[in-house]
Amino acid sequence: MFKQIGNTARGLMLGAALLGGGTPAVARAAGSEAEQLAELRQKLDQSLKKLDESLKMIAALAARVQELEAARAPAAATATAAASAEAQRIETVETKVAQIETANASRVADTTGLPIHGFADVGVANHNPWNADLKGYNVGNLDFYLTPQLGERTKALFELNFETDTDGSISFDLERAQIGYTFSDEVTVWLGRFHTPFGYMNTALHHGSWIANALRRPKFLNFEDHDGILPVHTVGSWLTGALRGDDGKLLYDVYVGNGQKIIGGVIDMRNAGNDHGQLIAGGRIGYEWIGGAADGLAFGLHGLSSTITDDQLPQHDTRLRVFGGYAVYDTDRWENISEVYFFDNQDLSGNTGSHRSEAGFLQLAYRATFGVPYLRYERAALQQADQYFAQQAFGASYWRAAVGMRYDIDLKSAFKLELANTHITDRARHEYIEALAQYAIRF
Amino acid sequence: MRRHTILPLLALAGWTSGANAGDLYVICNVGVTLQPSEIKDTFIGEKGFVGTVKLAPADNSAAQAAFLEKVLKVDAVKYAGIWTKKSFRDGVNPPPIKASDAEALAYVKQTPGGCGYVATAPGAEVKLVARF
Repeated sequence: MFKQIGNTARGLMLGAALLGGGTPAVARAAGSEAEQLAELRQKLDQSLKKLDESLKMIAALAARVQELEAARAPAAATATAAASAEAQRIETVETKVAQIETANASRVADTTGLPIHGFADVGVANHNPWNADLKGYNVGNLDFYLTPQLGERTKALFELNFETDTDGSISFDLERAQIGYTFSDEVTVWLGRFHTPFGYMNTALHHGSWIANALRRPKFLNFEDHDGILPVHTVGSWLTGALRGDDGKLLYDVYVGNGQKIIGGVIDMRNAGNDHGQLIAGGRIGYEWIGGAADGLAFGLHGLSSTITDDQLPQHDTRLRVFGGYAVYDTDRWENISEVYFFDNQDLSGNTGSHRSEAGFLQLAYRATFGVPYLRYERAALQQADQYFAQQAFGASYWRAAVGMRYDIDLKSAFKLELANTHITDRARHEYIEALAQYAIRF
Repeated sequence: MRRHTILPLLALAGWTSGANAGDLYVICNVGVTLQPSEIKDTFIGEKGFVGTVKLAPADNSAAQAAFLEKVLKVDAVKYAGIWTKKSFRDGVNPPPIKASDAEALAYVKQTPGGCGYVATAPGAEVKLVARF
């Protein structure tokens, strides 16, 4: 700045000198030399005076500029300091956010917790869903299932169910208690009490009414203490897995467990073992299409064999042999399920020989915008000379036709209605028409 | 012939260009080699392993709607239903849920077998499985 001012002053002085140097030549031509000199002196004095004034002005300006610069310096320093503090604060916040994100990412990677889920349902009906002699409001199930992840390959599944028995009392069952080791997607081994892998519904739609579209299971597939005629639970070991192909997957199950016993008219899965060492053994194989025109279609075959005893005197021993199959079409629109079971039981303690029976159902459900209407027909033709059925409290033959609808109230609750006509076709023959409503939730 | 040369170049340019609005990146931990065709099975619990590596997928609530629509092609209701049934039948838990791209990225980066998805272009610290 001062250098510029000095250059400006020198320029003015040079200009004045040039002006002074050029004027005499003009004056000589115009008048006397003395007059001309006096005039020139006067002009030079005036120029010098102006120059002096200019220099003073420049000096004043320079002083003002210096003063302003001196005043501005502290403000600039303050602004710089503020900007630095802001940057530091932002950096601190960013660091904290990054630490929180990392901590969150780490925390949920911890799989040693105990995820707990559950289902529950209540209802009202002119005939109780499991005991046609009762009517009115009913409590269904309060079913908790826990799926702790114990490591990369060890997993467990426990299901605790509070349910209303057919006599109206509340009972508590450890429905499933299984611990498994996963070798790969193709091989998992479970030990403990599990849903016996036959058909489709017994493993896919077991407890937890919310999970199924229909209000209840087919009568012959009910749980052992709710009219069921099959050993729907097994205590043993279970090898299961899926082999993925290009258009679907091959599913397989092989299991072995304690041979069941009929106690008090109900199949008991012998949680602590049995007294005769007999086993139940069985398997299931199926194929499920994924993608393409057949997406959602599945077929399977299953079979089991066991020696079943009872609590009668004398005791009946029956060689239970069951085989059958299932077909499922489960898409965004349809849930169609069909299962069939053939029994070829042999009387081991008496002389009644072999007995053949059969049971099955067909269910069609459509996922419409307003709900899921469904139709179901089920039938069981059970030989009463077969001690396996004769000793069961609910081992009678029957058929049932039902129509119903599920309406999802929200993501976790559903309301269901069903009208059914049931015919008991042996033992005490009778029929009854049911109107049932159910409110089912998951949590 | 010329079109055959240009098209792959255009595709490559599209792949290597920066993130576009609405892009979705499916990523996995650097130790995971997952095929794009295996993404759906991974996130619905049907595929649990790649070789000997146990997969650990995580959802990202900030990008989940786009992921369900573009990749799994199911809505949120059906996705929840799939996992309820899967968990009940097989004892498998649904993926943990991350709150943001940054959280999802941090999870995938530090979790062996981790897989996730983000709406912003990920760096080289994770493996890009596919961009949708």
